[in-house]
Amino acid sequence: MSVLSYLLLAVVTILNICLFLSRRGERGEFDREEDGTGHGTSVLFGWDPLNSELSARIFDPEDADFVASETSRGDARQFRQERTALALDWLRAVRGQVNQSIRAHVRAVRGNAGLRPADEVRLGFEFLLFQLASGILHLVIWACGPPRAAKLVGYSLELAGQLRKVTEDVLPAGRQVAVELLEREQERKN
Amino acid sequence: MRMHGELKHEDVEAARRDLADRTLATIRGDLARLIYLASMRDYNTGEYHHEGLAYMFTESVAGKAIAACHRDVFRRLILCSVKELVEQLELYGSTNCSSSSELARIWAKLQPYRVTVPLECSPLAGRLFLSNIKAALAILQSRQLRAHWEPLSALPGP
Repeated sequence: MSVLSYLLLAVVTILNICLFLSRRGERGEFDREEDGTGHGTSVLFGWDPLNSELSARIFDPEDADFVASETSRGDARQFRQERTALALDWLRAVRGQVNQSIRAHVRAVRGNAGLRPADEVRLGFEFLLFQLASGILHLVIWACGPPRAAKLVGYSLELAGQLRKVTEDVLPAGRQVAVELLEREQERKN
Repeated sequence: MRMHGELKHEDVEAARRDLADRTLATIRGDLARLIYLASMRDYNTGEYHHEGLAYMFTESVAGKAIAACHRDVFRRLILCSVKELVEQLELYGSTNCSSSSELARIWAKLQPYRVTVPLECSPLAGRLFLSNIKAALAILQSRQLRAHWEPLSALPGP
């Protein structure tokens, strides 16, 4: 009994941390848009942030090692800091896209008679898992830097991709069009 | 209407190929190509101008073709490592300046690479590029310093 309660407590704590980090990330995004620097989280030339090309570059340990071996400590530290900031912004972009998909899904299925609870529970679970993984990833990037977090990135991207697939699978055919329209409208606004 | 759209796309593609084969292929290195393509952009309007290409096609088709080439080159550069970027800078310096160390000194001060980022590029990609270029320039300057001090330290002491 006590083991179970400890386990529950641990899960709740981790979820709280993830929720906090996720909200903090969104606030950061908002602040950046507000300060007029324009450092938002849009994609590269319409590239998908879930695309692994850019993340591979940001999280590649080769660059950090090369810079550390070739420049002064100060330059290497600055490079590490810049890469960490970029990695955190990339993570926010991925999170933002997943959250947008989920919000669009919720809007589309609201009041839908053909809703399948089992699929919705599966989706909810996948979303929770993604939040957990991205929360841990945020912590690892922040504490240890992007190169150390490289292995977790693949897992988070895989989860995000799965989540996107599940939102598409779960959605009834007619509603899918509505979601696409909503997403297009969102893109136009951006 | 659709046919016109397809035709225009074909025109842009033909102009893009023409630019890539006749001009960009003769430029050594992607960094030099990026500088060249960015130099054809009007700072105020963000539009590209190339008289020869506009004469062969139209102003609008030429502009779109240059923009597409600019994006392609930038994308290739952003996905290359800092080590490769250092090599690109050395190549650019050896062909366009007296030396890569001189290039590093001037670029670190003037930061002309900031205006080479394509207009449609996301802030994240732009920041990654600028950070990588800054690191590559720091490496070139550091190498220059080492090259300067190493012969001095090799001299016999008093």
